[in-house]
Amino acid sequence: NDYVKEPGFFSLFLFAELLGDVLKDQPQEADGIDSVIVVDNVPQVGPDRLEKLKNVIHKIFSKFGKITNEFYPEADGKTKGYIFLEYMSPAHAVDAVKNADGYKLDKQHTFRVNLFTDFDKYMTISEEWDIPEKQPFKDLGNLRYWLEDPDCRDQYSVIFESGDRTCIYWNDAKEPVAIEERPRWTETYVRWSPKGTYLATFHQRGIALWGGEKFKQIQRFSHQGVQLIDFSPCERYLVTFSPLMDTQDDPQAIIIWDTLTGQKKRGFHCESSAHWPIFKWSHDGKFFARMTSDTLSIYETPSMGLLDKKSLKINGIKDFSWSPGGNIIAFWVPEDKDIPARVTLMQLPSRQEIRVRNLFNVVDCKLHWQKNGDYLCVKVDRTPKGTQGVVTNFEIFRMREKQVPVDVVEMKESIIAFAWEPNGSKFAVLHGEPPRISISFYHVKNNGKIELIKTFDKQQANTIFWSPQGQFLVLAGLRRNSILCLEVIHRVDNAYWLWTFQGRLLQKNNKDRFCQLLWRPRPPTLLSQDQIKQIKKDLKRYSKIFEQKDRLSQTKASKELVERRRTMMEEFRKYRKMAQELYLEQKNERLELRGGVDTDELDSNVDDWEEETVEFFINEEIITIAEPE
Amino acid sequence: MKPILLQGHERSITQIKYNREGDLLFTVAKDPIVNVWYSINGERLGTYNGHTGAVWCVDADWDTRHVLTGSADNSCRLWDCETGKQLALVKTNSAVRTCGFDFGGNIIMFSTDKQMGYQCFVSFFDLRDPSQIESDEPYMKIPCNESKITSAVWGPLGEFIIAGHENGELNQFSAKSGELLMNVKEHTKQINDIQTSRDMTMFITASKDNSAKLFDSTTLEHQKSFRTERPVNSAALSPIFDHVVLGGGQEAMDVTTTSTRIGKFEARFFHLGVEEEFGRIKGHFGPINSVAFHPDGKSYSSGGEDGYVRIHYFDPQYFEFEFEA
Repeated sequence: NDYVKEPGFFSLFLFAELLGDVLKDQPQEADGIDSVIVVDNVPQVGPDRLEKLKNVIHKIFSKFGKITNEFYPEADGKTKGYIFLEYMSPAHAVDAVKNADGYKLDKQHTFRVNLFTDFDKYMTISEEWDIPEKQPFKDLGNLRYWLEDPDCRDQYSVIFESGDRTCIYWNDAKEPVAIEERPRWTETYVRWSPKGTYLATFHQRGIALWGGEKFKQIQRFSHQGVQLIDFSPCERYLVTFSPLMDTQDDPQAIIIWDTLTGQKKRGFHCESSAHWPIFKWSHDGKFFARMTSDTLSIYETPSMGLLDKKSLKINGIKDFSWSPGGNIIAFWVPEDKDIPARVTLMQLPSRQEIRVRNLFNVVDCKLHWQKNGDYLCVKVDRTPKGTQGVVTNFEIFRMREKQVPVDVVEMKESIIAFAWEPNGSKFAVLHGEPPRISISFYHVKNNGKIELIKTFDKQQANTIFWSPQGQFLVLAGLRRNSILCLEVIHRVDNAYWLWTFQGRLLQKNNKDRFCQLLWRPRPPTLLSQDQIKQIKKDLKRYSKIFEQKDRLSQTKASKELVERRRTMMEEFRKYRKMAQELYLEQKNERLELRGGVDTDELDSNVDDWEEETVEFFINEEIITIAEPE
Repeated sequence: MKPILLQGHERSITQIKYNREGDLLFTVAKDPIVNVWYSINGERLGTYNGHTGAVWCVDADWDTRHVLTGSADNSCRLWDCETGKQLALVKTNSAVRTCGFDFGGNIIMFSTDKQMGYQCFVSFFDLRDPSQIESDEPYMKIPCNESKITSAVWGPLGEFIIAGHENGELNQFSAKSGELLMNVKEHTKQINDIQTSRDMTMFITASKDNSAKLFDSTTLEHQKSFRTERPVNSAALSPIFDHVVLGGGQEAMDVTTTSTRIGKFEARFFHLGVEEEFGRIKGHFGPINSVAFHPDGKSYSSGGEDGYVRIHYFDPQYFEFEFEA
């Protein structure tokens, strides 16, 4: 399709017609023509500048292999604007096409490079066009059906029995209501997509996506030995990793797929999957990027090509991170001889550096974005000149203000954990050395100050969890920060417990050999800020309605329960009546077996009773008798 | 009322049993001591001495004249209840796992384990014919080729026995001919204990598969199930109410209780009709291995891994409890 639009195409078409006779005479050996490339959009120059042009072309194209032949067709005293180059081997030609196509020589000239053999291929396309078969419409149903639950219940997935059973539940107040339970649904574990639309299951041959009311299979992605996956935030793309598939020519370790069509969009090499996800997505899914040694490669969707066709060379780049609120990348570089360490904020796609911050005597940095991208916190560990110890500062970048001012908060103690309040301008810091750990809350105020609100000490925690809406916070002392659990830690007493956020235990659900529990995420709300404000105002009115509804459902449950109990008691009484009748029938046999003694009741033989006096132990007292003198 | 604590064993309790009238409680354990206690005040009457290994089972006849015990020392012994004298000793080739008197107190049966190349057998001796015991010739011996017997009780009129097996099966064997009368598999794992109701028309099984089940004695028809999260070691039926008590391992620990003084292992009470739990009694420091109701239903006893036997008299609330139905 691209060729039809390019002006160069028609000139080449004409050329190929002219050369037709020559081509016919040429020996029909594959090798000969396979090593030839055609480069279009070459500057049209006169004989005076031809030498220079040839040098430039040679410099660019000999990178891909030894050029054995070249041809610069001319017309009217100038080069025509397209040239032919022949390499030693077809592989070089392929390489040249891959890497030089799209090469921007200058503002007016962007090379189009093609294999000569491709022209033959495209010119002999048959006149007959077979209309592609119409695919039957795959009705996937309402993929967002669970958001319409009238009781607004959440869903969660549970894997138990060492991975053999996976079940999806509604989080009903009384007890979990199972929606779908399948044996061996996944071979290892499951993942929800970021907006909760899909459930991904892992198999030796690849990934399967499930969704809709009945959790039908929506799509399959064939990636042998897949181990890790990631979704773009918009759920349009799925990234899969398998250590098995990589080859030199055909990178297949990481594959990016189009979620809905199942199409393989692009494959990448991967040296190590230690820090998954390797590719970090921008918040809107327009870009994804990865960092390799001294390089930041940013790709754009849907073309999956490098932005501006080249990676960014950033010497010593240690870490980068996308803003959750806009297409801005934050990255940092450590000290290099005289040049101090620095944190840079770069706008995409313009690549404009909107803020650079120099930092001195840096040991390490960690980037923490606030959920909306309003603030960036860079945790800087420094060893000030002349000292031995490590000191930590928080550099707070105010992203929404002009020129992104930076405020510094100095911390006296070592930092255990840091977390921004979602949707807010506060952050929480766990600091200190065990056992003296404290939590401090700071507020980033509009007037340029960052205020310490409160510190609570004597905390037994190593992790901070803010509620997704902000306002509340849970401190936890976690033994292992593992989200998924393939190894069974305990063989018995596996369960998950549900609590209200205020600490009231709601449910204890035992699950044999329990492995994993994941809440189903929700997409962001469709309500505007004003609508949310209005609902909060009317909350009292809504609460009344909901409480009434809850009470009704409680009594309904009791009614059902009472009904069930009554039926079961009835059945049991019937059975006992029958058994009693048989028992009575057998009385004579019993008397016979026991020599006429009636033992049917405990008091059947009152005459036989004896009276006995029994002593009960009341108290023990030790009395020492004085020694005789 | 505070429970009465019986400390008469050095090792974990294997079985406890009341006599028919309930005034005596027999306890056996993994030590060779066989104890008998007054259930009313916990005073020990005496011991039956002779065994040299762990004692797995105990039974008393309907008239409380004889006591029968089976042991890992490869013997089954008959005792005079009042004097403590050993009346008979039957040597076996392997450990005696379960034993009992029939309804009339005339026939004894016991099962032996599959051990050392010997397979599992159930042996029947008629006490009215002393030659059987003296020459160690049971009138009938039923071999058990597949899954070994782990618990067994007599039927209501001494016509058959009901055996529970390692694989969860229940078999009804004729005590006259030895033929297999009926077979049922409701449990998926080993049956640890079988106890009949007072009138012997039904019985409860306790299984390693975390459940206890109620069956009709004659038809072996499964009536009710009681599910827990841990293996059930023992179960007993109340003689006066539609209640069953289950004893077993420990529940997932309740995080909010912090008391370290009270033993945390519990006996759990279920209602037979609705299959729902209605109460728990804590106290043991280890899993409960054997439970038994007093024949008058006003108290029950439990023997644990901790070597203790606890006699509990029920509070008034127990007698007033009723489900909404």
